[in-house]
Amino acid sequence: MKSLLAFIRKEMLEQRRSGKLIILGILFIVLGIMSPAIAKLTPWLMEMMAGSLAGSGLIFTSVSVTAMDSWVQFFKNMPIGLIAFVLIESSIFTREYQTGTLLLSLTKGLERHKVVAAKAVVLVFLWTICYWLCAGITCGYTAFFWGNAMVQHLLFSVTCWWVFGLFAVALMVLFSTMAGSNTGVLAGTGCVVLVSYLLSFFSGLKKFMPTTLMDGTSLIYGMAQPKACTVSLIIAAVMIPVCLAAGVSIFNRKQL
Amino acid sequence: MEMLQITGLHKRFGDKEVLKGLNLTVPEHSIFGFIGRNGAGKTTTMKTILGLLKADAGEILVNGEKAVYGQTATNRYIGYLPDVPEFYSFMTAREYLGFCGEITGMTKKEYRERSEELLELVGLNGEKHRIKGYSRGMKQRLGIAQALLNRPKLLICDEPTSALDPVGRKEILDLLLAVREQTTVLFSTHILSDVERICTDIALLNEGKVDIQGKLSEIRTQYRRDEYLVETDKDEGMHALQTAFPEMRQTGRNQLVFSEKDYAPGEVFRFVADRAVPVVKIERVEPTLESLFVEVVEK
Repeated sequence: MKSLLAFIRKEMLEQRRSGKLIILGILFIVLGIMSPAIAKLTPWLMEMMAGSLAGSGLIFTSVSVTAMDSWVQFFKNMPIGLIAFVLIESSIFTREYQTGTLLLSLTKGLERHKVVAAKAVVLVFLWTICYWLCAGITCGYTAFFWGNAMVQHLLFSVTCWWVFGLFAVALMVLFSTMAGSNTGVLAGTGCVVLVSYLLSFFSGLKKFMPTTLMDGTSLIYGMAQPKACTVSLIIAAVMIPVCLAAGVSIFNRKQL
Repeated sequence: MEMLQITGLHKRFGDKEVLKGLNLTVPEHSIFGFIGRNGAGKTTTMKTILGLLKADAGEILVNGEKAVYGQTATNRYIGYLPDVPEFYSFMTAREYLGFCGEITGMTKKEYRERSEELLELVGLNGEKHRIKGYSRGMKQRLGIAQALLNRPKLLICDEPTSALDPVGRKEILDLLLAVREQTTVLFSTHILSDVERICTDIALLNEGKVDIQGKLSEIRTQYRRDEYLVETDKDEGMHALQTAFPEMRQTGRNQLVFSEKDYAPGEVFRFVADRAVPVVKIERVEPTLESLFVEVVEK
């Protein structure tokens, strides 16, 4: 346990000193502010453009924005946040393979599963903090400007997206134990998400796909009910520990 | 007692057989020079001892316990210094040793005291900067410090001096000599002068097998050919000797070598004294590691 904590502390120190922590922090704060800001600014932008658009025959009478627009924007922004997160953290394992820094720790008797566990814990922690920080900021501003009362299944839809992020993190860990460079990690994670996304176009398969969890917009408008997400939520919840366990098992046999 | 015993170690990478039944015995408290050409299999052997590579066949005993691939408990006896040690460059030397102490399960007090002791030993105690800015020599010294942290019974160094300048090399060799009291040192190298300087025992690795192994002094005696070298001051002296002792071979300018079998050394000394041949030196030829190495490799 002590060695696990020591490794987690080392990972956090690395995140801090390499500047990744600050980059992630800024990115997710900006994304959190952007969603309500874009919604808030839309009428003003429209007004600005109204003059020029009137010339081409488009006439605006009044544009009303609601809390819905802010949250729709949030769900549009989150893929950017997740992609950036995966890009920034994709080398968390592979950099150690390439530089050989793990050799010294492992030959000192650090158990291999603790390396995977420590890195997974740090990734989950960072994703959770970044994501909820972002969601919290959006929630705060949206409540301040419009109130969240009309948004349906808000907590559920936001939680679903967080679970999807965890699923992506688990995939990153899994592919990190297989690949030798971060390109492999990005390709592996990207492919699984893409395949899941493409398969969800088939209406029969949609409810099984973890990518369904990203569809927060349908939930907040009430076009989809939470129970439509139950199966994919369960599948993601099962896949996360399965990916991590598979990662440990592969890492135990990995030649370093 | 033997600190490390390897029997019949085989390792193959694809169709290249790197180790072909390697046997090695490292006695306790020795400084063991593991000599071989580049690509002879030195690093492969070391990584297999550490459980980083899987052996195809053979057995490795560290302090009497069997070493296995992957998670091997025998690593608690071992301190390892790779050829190019890589540390977390965002840490300082002190932080890194602290991290190593924590993952090996030392208490805070223990690793703090030991870190100070070792940083002083390797001359990095005044260093406050992060490892990022360290020179190769500094990294190598920090590498020795981290390897010695938990007082290992066996210190394995993979070519610790190969990439260093003469000053850096001397520092590392002095360090290895200094730690001999505390531990057994196994180090691989192809720099023979390093071996002659500090090793008590050697093994010569050639084509995946250990060809010669034992105490350096014993190997020297064993391979001594009872030859003498005479170096004269002038050409005339050399010619006079060659005429009197036709079996003498010329090996260099004004240098002649003869075997005890052909002429008794006393006889030659007498000739030199009687004729007052001006000589620079007469000496017994000690086999150098270099000649041994070349002999083994070319066999």
